[in-house]
Amino acid sequence: MGAADVVREGPARAFMLCNEAIVRGAIEADVKVVSAYPGSPTTEVLDTLSAVAPGFDYRMEISANEKVALETCAGASMAGLRTITSMKSVGLNVASDAFYSLSYTGIKGGMVLVVADDPQAHSSQTEQDGRTFGPSAYVPMLEPSNPAEAKRMVKAAFEISERYGVPVLLRTTTRVNHQSGIVDLGKLERKPFAKVRWDHPPGRFVTVADSARTFKLAMLERTTRLEAEFDGSDLNLVEDTGSDTGIVTSGAGYNYSVDACRELGIEPSMLKLGTTYPLPKKLIGDFLKKLKTVIIVEELSPYLELHVTAIAKDANPSVRVVGKWTGHFSEAFEYNTNIVVEGIAKALGTKLPVDYKAVMDKAKELKEGLADRWPTFCPGCPHRASLHALRQALKGVKHVVATDIGCYSMSFLEPINYGDTLLCMGACTGVAAGLQYAVEEKVVAIVGDSTFYHAGLPGLVNAIHHGDDFTLLILDNEVTAMTGQQPNPGSDANAGGRAAKPMVIENVLRGFGLEDITIVDPYDVKNAVGPMKDALARKGPNVIISRRACALHADRLKRKRGEKISSNDVSKEACKKPYTCIREFYCPALSIDDDDRKSVISKELCDKCDVCAKLCPFGSIKEREGG
Amino acid sequence: MAEREFSVYMSGVGGQGLVLLSNVIGAACASAGIRALTGEQHGLSQRSGSINVHMRIGERIRSPLIPIGGADALLALEALEALRYVEYLRPGGIVLMNSRVQHPVSETAKHMKDKQARYFSADEVRARLSRVTDKISVIDALTLAKEAGSTLTENIIMLGALSTVEAFPVPVDALKRSVAENVPKKAVDVNLKAFELGRSKAREQLCHVVKCRD
Repeated sequence: MGAADVVREGPARAFMLCNEAIVRGAIEADVKVVSAYPGSPTTEVLDTLSAVAPGFDYRMEISANEKVALETCAGASMAGLRTITSMKSVGLNVASDAFYSLSYTGIKGGMVLVVADDPQAHSSQTEQDGRTFGPSAYVPMLEPSNPAEAKRMVKAAFEISERYGVPVLLRTTTRVNHQSGIVDLGKLERKPFAKVRWDHPPGRFVTVADSARTFKLAMLERTTRLEAEFDGSDLNLVEDTGSDTGIVTSGAGYNYSVDACRELGIEPSMLKLGTTYPLPKKLIGDFLKKLKTVIIVEELSPYLELHVTAIAKDANPSVRVVGKWTGHFSEAFEYNTNIVVEGIAKALGTKLPVDYKAVMDKAKELKEGLADRWPTFCPGCPHRASLHALRQALKGVKHVVATDIGCYSMSFLEPINYGDTLLCMGACTGVAAGLQYAVEEKVVAIVGDSTFYHAGLPGLVNAIHHGDDFTLLILDNEVTAMTGQQPNPGSDANAGGRAAKPMVIENVLRGFGLEDITIVDPYDVKNAVGPMKDALARKGPNVIISRRACALHADRLKRKRGEKISSNDVSKEACKKPYTCIREFYCPALSIDDDDRKSVISKELCDKCDVCAKLCPFGSIKEREGG
Repeated sequence: MAEREFSVYMSGVGGQGLVLLSNVIGAACASAGIRALTGEQHGLSQRSGSINVHMRIGERIRSPLIPIGGADALLALEALEALRYVEYLRPGGIVLMNSRVQHPVSETAKHMKDKQARYFSADEVRARLSRVTDKISVIDALTLAKEAGSTLTENIIMLGALSTVEAFPVPVDALKRSVAENVPKKAVDVNLKAFELGRSKAREQLCHVVKCRD
C-alpha cells in the first residue's frame, strides 16, 4: 500500500489504491513531466506523484489550476516528452479551452489525461458526465474498472498517444479511483531525464483559421484509424456465453454487472468496453447480432445506450435495448450491485434474490432518531472562527453571501446553514458582481486562498476595474486544505517538498491597485470582529484576509517538531450554560452533558485552538490538567 | 481458502484511521495470495463526517461496493456509525462495534434548544441492532487503546477482534505482519499490542455467539 509500493521494484504484487496504480503505470511508462491541481476523486494521483517525486527524475508542478496543469503537459508533450495530468471532470471544464485545441494540434510525446467523474456528487458540485469530452473533442478515451486495469491502461494510453499524436483520456469514476485492489508491479526501467531539441517546423502547433481547418480533417482521419484499432483491441473484453441476452457496460458498471449476474444466477454474454471513444462500432455490432435482449449498464447519461441503439439499427434491428430510456435504470446517482440486480431482474422478469425494499424499510425504522453526521469543520479549524467572526460583524446587517469551493463550502450544511450561492471554483467574485447590481442587501463573497489563485483572480480584477460594491473575505490557511493540505501558490514549497516562491495575497491585491485591505487572525476571534465590521461598512470592492494555518496542516508540522497537542476542559463550577462555545460554532469536540446540561470537551478531539475559551463569557474553558 | 468470500462493511468518523485499517487487511491479503478489493471514501466526507469503507475478500467479487444485505460483518469504529449502515448487514451477520460515541454536531445543536433531549447511546444502538442479529460485540476500544499505549490504535483493536472470527479468511499471521509493515515504525509495538488486546476481548465477548479460530 501507499508510496512504498509505488516505488517498489517489480515484479511484485501489491494492494493499491487505483490512483496509486495509475501513478505506478505512468512511472513504469517512464513519464517525464507531470502537473496537476488536486480534486477529489483524483487527488491521490497528485499526492502520490508528489510523495515519490524525490526518488525519480520526472519534473513536477502542483499547478495553480487544471488549465495551467494541462497546458504544462501540452508544452512538454509537444516537445516530445511523456506527460500525465489528472483532474476531476469539473476540473476539465476549467482546462477545456486548452483541451479542445490540443486535440487539433496534437502532441509528440505521449500525454495521458486522467479525468474522473463523481456520480453521487460525493465531493463535487455536480454529477457531470465527463465522457462527453472524448467525442466532442475527438480525443480517444479509455475506461478501466479496477486498479490493475488502470495501471495497464495508463501504459496502453501512452502508446496510443504517441502512435496517433493525440492526448488520451483515462476516464474514471469515484468507485474506480477510490477502489483498492491487487496489482502486479512491473519493472521500473527508466531512462535518465534529458531535454530534447525542438524539431518541429514553424507553426506546427498553431491552430487558427486555415491551419485549424487542416487539423480538423486530420483529426477526423485519425479518429477513423483509432476506431479500426479499437475494434480489435484487447482493451475491450467479450465474454460470449451463448446466451441470447447480453450486457454492454464499461468501468464501474462492469463490476456491478458481474456481481449482479452472480446474485441473480444468470450468465448473459458480456461486452465490457475499455475504449469508450471512439466506440468500436464493428465489435459492438457483432456482439448485438446474436442477441434478443441487450442491457446497457452505465452510470449517469445514456452515452453507451445512445450509440448501441444506433448501431443496432443496422446490426440487429430486432434486438430489445434495455437501459435508461426504457425506465430500467436511472441517470441519477451512482450504482451498486443491488441497483443493477433490480434493473436486470425487471428487464428479464426474474425474482429478486433479496427484498431490498424490505431491508431498507427495516433499516429506516431502526435508524429513527439517529442524527445525521455531515462533514464539518475540524476541531481547531480557523475557518470556523473566521465565519463566526464574520457573522458577529454582520449582526443586524442584511446581507447575501456568495461562497465558493473549499472546506468553507461545508458552512451551508446542518447545523451552521450559512451561505446563499455556490457554483464552481472562483465563482464568488463574479456572482457577487452580479448580486451587487441586483440586491438591496450588503454583498459578501467568500473564497479560500487556493481557490482565489485557481479561478478567483479574474473575478476580482473585474470587480476592482468596475468598482463593484462587495466585500471579499479571503480565508487564507496556507494550503489547499479540502483535498488534503497540498501546497498552493501561497506556499513556500511545491511538489516533492521542493522550494517555491510564496505569493503574498495582500501584495497581489496592492499590485491590482486595491488599497482597502483588512487582515485579521481568526484565532484572536474577538478582536477580529471590529475590523471586519468596519471593512464591511465601507463601500467595496474591498478585501478582508483572515489568516491562520489549516489545523490539520499545523498539527502535522507540530508533530514533526515533536510538540504535544494538548486539549481544553470545561470547569463544571464556572459553566453557566450560555452555550457561547457551541452556538454558531459547532465544534465536533464540544457536546452537552446529558445530566447537568453543561458543555463538555472531548480530550481526544480538542485541538486547543482556544477560540471557544476566548468566547466564553464566564472564562470556564481552560487547559486540561495534564494536557 | 481463495474461494471463500467475506465482506466487511467498515464505518467510523473521519480521522479514525479507517482507510489505514482497510489497507492493513488488503496488504495482508496481497501477501497471502487472496484477492481483495475495497470501495473507500476520501475527500470531503473525511472532515469529521460519517465515513465508510467496503472491504471485500473473494476471488470472484468485482464490485467494490457491498450490496444491501450483503455484509458478513459490520465493523464500526464509532457506535452510531454501526447503526447508520445497518441495511448493509446480512440478516444474522456479525457486528463489531466500538462503544465510543462521538456526538454529531447536529445532535448537539438540538440539545441546546431541548433540555430533555438525550444523546443517542451505544446501548440504544446495540438494542436496535439486536433486532436483526444476535452476533454483536460492543468493545470499549478507547480504553483498550490507552492500555496498548496510544489512543490512535482503536482501529487495530477492532481488527484484532475481527481476526478471531473463523469465517474471516485472512490468516492471523498475515494480519500481524501487515500491521507491523504498515503502521509508522515507532508505533509498531503499541499496534501489535492493540491487536492482541482486541483478540482477547473478542474471545470474551464474541466467541460464545460466533465461531472463532485460534
